[in-house]
Amino acid sequence: MVTLSAGVVDAASLRLTFVLFLSVVVITLFTALLTAPQRDEIGEFYLGNRSMSPLRNGLAMCGDYVSAATLLGSTGLVALTGYDGLMYLVGTTVAWMAVLLLIAEPLHRAGRFTLGDTVALRMPRQQRPVRLALALCTVVIAVLYLVAQLVGSVALLTQFTGEPGATTRTLCVVVIGTIVIMYASLGGMPGATVIQVIKAVMLVVGVTVTAALVLHRYGWNPNALLTAAADHSGESTRFLQPGLRYGGSAASKLDFFSLQLAIVLGLAALPHVLMRLLAPRSVGVLRSSVVWAVGLVGLICLGAGVLGLGATAVVGRDTIAGTDRTGNASVLLLAHSLGGGLLTALLSCLAFVTLLAVAAGLTLAAASSLAHDVYGELRRGRVSQAEELTVARLAAVVIGVLGMLLALVSWGANTATLAFLAFAIAASAILPTLVYTLFWRRFSARGALLSLGGGLLCSVLLVVFSPVVSSRPDSFYPHADFAWFPLQNPGLVSIPVGFLLGWLGTVLNPPEQQDRAAYQDFEVRMLVGAEE
Amino acid sequence: MSDFPPRPDLAAPYAAPAPPPQHPSEEPEFHALRRAQYRFGFRATVLSVSSFLLYVLLSGFAPVVMNLTLAGRMTLGLALGLAQFAVMGVTAWRYVRHMRTRVDPAARALARGRHTPAASPGAGVPPRATGPAPARAPEGGRTW
Repeated sequence: MVTLSAGVVDAASLRLTFVLFLSVVVITLFTALLTAPQRDEIGEFYLGNRSMSPLRNGLAMCGDYVSAATLLGSTGLVALTGYDGLMYLVGTTVAWMAVLLLIAEPLHRAGRFTLGDTVALRMPRQQRPVRLALALCTVVIAVLYLVAQLVGSVALLTQFTGEPGATTRTLCVVVIGTIVIMYASLGGMPGATVIQVIKAVMLVVGVTVTAALVLHRYGWNPNALLTAAADHSGESTRFLQPGLRYGGSAASKLDFFSLQLAIVLGLAALPHVLMRLLAPRSVGVLRSSVVWAVGLVGLICLGAGVLGLGATAVVGRDTIAGTDRTGNASVLLLAHSLGGGLLTALLSCLAFVTLLAVAAGLTLAAASSLAHDVYGELRRGRVSQAEELTVARLAAVVIGVLGMLLALVSWGANTATLAFLAFAIAASAILPTLVYTLFWRRFSARGALLSLGGGLLCSVLLVVFSPVVSSRPDSFYPHADFAWFPLQNPGLVSIPVGFLLGWLGTVLNPPEQQDRAAYQDFEVRMLVGAEE
Repeated sequence: MSDFPPRPDLAAPYAAPAPPPQHPSEEPEFHALRRAQYRFGFRATVLSVSSFLLYVLLSGFAPVVMNLTLAGRMTLGLALGLAQFAVMGVTAWRYVRHMRTRVDPAARALARGRHTPAASPGAGVPPRATGPAPARAPEGGRTW
């Protein structure tokens, strides 16, 4: 991650954080076990309590989406780069619009547990290879994002103890990973939902209250806040102008555009968000839930913007950059100078719970895909519910352990970079198939396979040959140089490639008559549905 | 959402008419419904996503425009960033209103037309009980 001179937080707030975190974990674990599926019913394990109100569903969606990368990473970017950081936060919110306006309702009407179910409904005869390809993409994305969260936990621990030793690091990842496995494997979706809702409430309250404290300090005058932030940034007016982070070359501007494209389009293809969209019982509830989620995410992003500007205004950019080069410490530093040890402890606990909850959602999504799409398909659908449930629980353990191992290997990586790579791969591999499946009458199984495989391969290869892996001091292999692809984020190239391959495969291998008939049924179901 | 039942009790009304009936997806009411739902959705998505991407590009390649000062420290770029949130709010509100007034009644009418008359008022019938009309269980699909 970064080299740190010393921890941000004193021993007292570290103990307080520990106690708070432990109590939240104990309470949520107990609730998760109490609400866990009692019967061997996979519907309950995959979708959870389906009679929740729109507000609680919206909170759970918001909880699934807003990760520690947003809370710490984006806020830190605002604190360090001002305007450019604020653009991240806008993109984070805009991403929900495509989900609300286009994806959510048709997917809900035509879906069941996983995206594989939806595609299978559309291409009943070739569902087997498509399901397997979808599961592969889902697992890759979920594991990458899971690693980002676990690496984030090490980065967060760094704020307290300074650079952690190998033992502390391993302990941190193993403890967090084990809790995540317990939520996902024992609690299933009901358990994950409990922690998502609790986390989202904590997040909304914590961010709003801290932002209010910042604004209060500047007399509720945004202009005073902007002035103070610019004055303490060491950049004066340039802080509030674009280009501080991505102003250098045309390549870095394109890199930023590529990243924003991945953020805006990737959300709709993240496996745990897709799964969450299927949970509400009716389309009406789903619509209100997504509107709630848009509002809550917007509120959190606006609040995070105020926090970032406030951190620069109150603490000063030099201190933030001096503590942690990536700016991840900005929120905690701000909390320390606004509310002392108590607020710091509350926000650190919030950050830990945030990454715990996102990691649980991801593990569950990957496990569902493995159990439902891979195992169910390999057994050709002749699986009893109890058997599939057992496989799903075991798969959650496997995914969790895999995530922990990878996180221990790559603990030095940047959390936000890993998270945004997951977004880019989701947008390149899964989004084309999702959009074509829902809206393109002629889409064929060959097109789906080509865009899933090609999108995944293209985005992964571009990452391997990008500055993320080699040639820069902060890459995985700083001493090698095989980075011929100039952008850190592959989205700008790999997303169009994914869509193009889907089109190409369909044009070369058009669907047969039966598949077209299947789409007619599918379309009716998608628009009229069975509910209301 | 519902299970994928192998059409338990809906077979009868479908088998009744002698000539093979037109597929529901070819009826004009269905076309109108599809147009009403997707046209708004696509336009609004393109509008909100592309306005944001345009904002990113403008910030990157035309910083002079974005640095115009409006009032105090507020520049055009910062104001446009805030305006994105307002645009999203308005879009979400218009979408919900559009769906409620234009799309939902049409979808309900079509759904009623496809169900047996007894089930049509839909009062208190749990959604799972009334199966989806034309959803065919995929071959080799699961039986539960």
